[in-house]
Amino acid sequence: MPAPFAWINGRWRCPAYVYGTLLPWLAQQHITDQVPRWQPLHIMLLDTRELYDYQQAALAAWEQAQRRGSVVLPTGAGKTLVAIYAILRVNRSAVVVCPTVDLLHQWYSRLRSAFACEVGVYYGGEKLLHSLMVTTYHSLGDLMAEYGAHYKLIIFDEVHHLPARAWGEAAFMAPAPCRLGLTATYPTEEEQREARGRWNLDELIGPLVFVQRMEELVGEQLAHYRTQRLRVSLTPQERQLYERDHALYMGFVRARQLPRRFGGGWLRELMRLSASDREARTALLARQRVLHLLAGCQGKLQAVESLLHEHSNDLCLIFTENNSVAYTLARRLLIPVISHETRAAERKDILDGFAERRYRAIITSRVLNEGVDVPEAKVAIILGGTAGAREYLQRLGRVLRKVENRQAVLYEILVRDTVEEGRAHRRRKAVKAQQQEVKRADG
Amino acid sequence: MLTADLVRPFLLRSGNRLEVQWLDESNSLWLQTASDLITLFQHMRGQTRADWEAALVAYEGNRTDYLIVRGLAKVLTDAATFAPRATPYAPGEVRRRLFERGPIFATPEVCHPHTRTEVMQQLAAEIGTSEAELEQALFADRVEEQLLIDTGPCWTPGQLLARYNLELARGVLYTATTVRIEVYDGFKDLWKYLKLFQLMFWGQPLAGGGYQLDLAGPISPFVRSTTRYGRAFAAFLPAVLLCERWSLTAEVYTHLCSHALIYHLDHSSPLRSSFKASGLYDSRLEREFAQEFTELQEKFGSERNGWRLEREREVLLLDDTVMIPDFVATHALDPARKLLIELVGYWTPTYLRRKIDKVRAAECRHLLLLVYQGLNLTQESFADVASEVLFFPRKPVIKEVLTVMEAMAERLYGPLSKPKSTNRQ
Repeated sequence: MPAPFAWINGRWRCPAYVYGTLLPWLAQQHITDQVPRWQPLHIMLLDTRELYDYQQAALAAWEQAQRRGSVVLPTGAGKTLVAIYAILRVNRSAVVVCPTVDLLHQWYSRLRSAFACEVGVYYGGEKLLHSLMVTTYHSLGDLMAEYGAHYKLIIFDEVHHLPARAWGEAAFMAPAPCRLGLTATYPTEEEQREARGRWNLDELIGPLVFVQRMEELVGEQLAHYRTQRLRVSLTPQERQLYERDHALYMGFVRARQLPRRFGGGWLRELMRLSASDREARTALLARQRVLHLLAGCQGKLQAVESLLHEHSNDLCLIFTENNSVAYTLARRLLIPVISHETRAAERKDILDGFAERRYRAIITSRVLNEGVDVPEAKVAIILGGTAGAREYLQRLGRVLRKVENRQAVLYEILVRDTVEEGRAHRRRKAVKAQQQEVKRADG
Repeated sequence: MLTADLVRPFLLRSGNRLEVQWLDESNSLWLQTASDLITLFQHMRGQTRADWEAALVAYEGNRTDYLIVRGLAKVLTDAATFAPRATPYAPGEVRRRLFERGPIFATPEVCHPHTRTEVMQQLAAEIGTSEAELEQALFADRVEEQLLIDTGPCWTPGQLLARYNLELARGVLYTATTVRIEVYDGFKDLWKYLKLFQLMFWGQPLAGGGYQLDLAGPISPFVRSTTRYGRAFAAFLPAVLLCERWSLTAEVYTHLCSHALIYHLDHSSPLRSSFKASGLYDSRLEREFAQEFTELQEKFGSERNGWRLEREREVLLLDDTVMIPDFVATHALDPARKLLIELVGYWTPTYLRRKIDKVRAAECRHLLLLVYQGLNLTQESFADVASEVLFFPRKPVIKEVLTVMEAMAERLYGPLSKPKSTNRQ
């Protein structure tokens, strides 16, 4: 028997991922191949976008490598279109895998529009099987365990996530002979070699077949924007609750000298204490009430309302700190909301409706992050944030992509004289530091 | 299923071993807490999931044992049924039609001539419903708007605590990479659940009549320490608890250290199964056969006393599957004389085909098949089976069965060395 086979538990067995490489040998031995369960796709390409030269070249290189391997394209350079053409060329049951549910929804929507066919989704919230599927790395293992042999092509979006231990197993247990990895940041050989207990991309997906460098594309996608900060006040009643809870919580933190004793990890220490120390528990609960109050205070809700008035002809995106504020606003102002609860089809309707100006605004609670396309919003409103600097930067980039001549505006709404002001200050410093780093790196 | 945050805090490391801090099921504080939660939950019937969660937070107050309270509540919640409120119009459709008219504000202005109330009234009129119903339908499909329609089993506080402990034990297995089980009884149920949860296993007999099973998944032989099958192991655990004598040893990865810890459980643990054990007999045929067999034995007394009949004591390990014959007959005078008896009763063609295949694979010379001929099964079907096959037009005649058993035993084990006093002519 050839190398990948081993005699295990009374049978010759091998891992599923080597299936593609075994095909010549199977034919030579006249072994009936009962693995494939994939179907021809009944698709027609409706997407009218044409491939750029570099996208053509990427596809050609992938075909050359027996439809196995990874393509590196900078963010925003049209990885999705490359994937769409790969699906078209293989024209058999296929799965697209991505890191987050948000990206999953975006893929769903792109594939539906591109092919006008049924598209299945498979993740925690929804399981709907079709010949063309979108799933997350998290759920790919379950999908492959049940239906691995049903898919000939797997496209790994953000393929640099795949080497993670549990995620790589999913690619390992899939027989799909055609595999395409997409990313903007392919791990270096060293990184791949050094990472212990992680998977090797070359082995699971195939070699790196094409790289498009960033510099050649820079310039076209830059956008201009300004940020504007708005400060709102708490109502007297809210102020009273805030002061009480803030004092309660800070009182404990100071009395126990948590920051001095535990440095940056003091909050974790507070959480740990709260499972045994009633005062700590009381303080932690007070802290949660403070955050909850700030996230959805009256002043912020009113500010959103007046900004929507002011920009009544612009498409607006509203980011809230949590789901409950998002749904409160949605109900109050009659604006669609996208949250992790929103199903793929409705999400597509909302984003399409936004592009067609059927909906003028979208509310979302922190989900439109990494790499998700939101078509040409000109106004973004952020309701005060505890979010980290990275997330903040990405939000900026989101709204401001593909804006034409007019300048985009980003409003940040903060509550005056509360912890939020300090946080925003720290965040601005972090953003500035990052931007400087980027500049240095570019220079 | 308890989430990791509700399991982790109750794990302890002791050397290479992993211990679980069980909840004391006789502690009055926990019994009271369980009782409070059961009552609270009963009162929430008809209310939303969000209401239940709010009530729970209120109940918790600033208790520092909130992780246990939440764990108990999770057990209640998981066993209950929530369903979306019935609305005259699909919530998605209501949203689409309402949101196309937004954003809308409390007070009208030049560019927003309609108030929220007007918009709501308008749509309500268009689709022929009331404003209140529209308001209710708007997000009726959200999980937290679901209504508690059935609170599940009628828990006693003791049962709830017991089930919580079982869920903790299962929680440990989520991150198990290997599970080894030793069992000495209750095979039939065990195998039923192994199949149900699609676990692969490597089995081997143990001295003393039990079996050792290593549970794994299809990629386990190739991937070092995969935790992929942890959920299936966890789901399977209650099946092991149905056995009377058993032990379980798992390698588990936890947040406590980077290497695997050993988690051990056995029948001395107070855990109780949440699965129902099936009855002693699967079918009337088996019950009747056992009854007639025993009656005949009793009638002849020690004269003919050869065989003792036991249910499903033996497992035939066949490659990656198993066969569990209905009865094991052991000779009273010589326990080494052992015969397996399998009844082939009511059947469907597929069932029968699989049974024959299994029997063939077993090549088991001490297996006696009793086939009810009322079924249209030709004798040729069993022609190449190593075992003894007896056909009966209606049901087995026990005398004939006994005669064949004696003959089989003689052939397999040689003549029975009898004490002088007994004489059988």
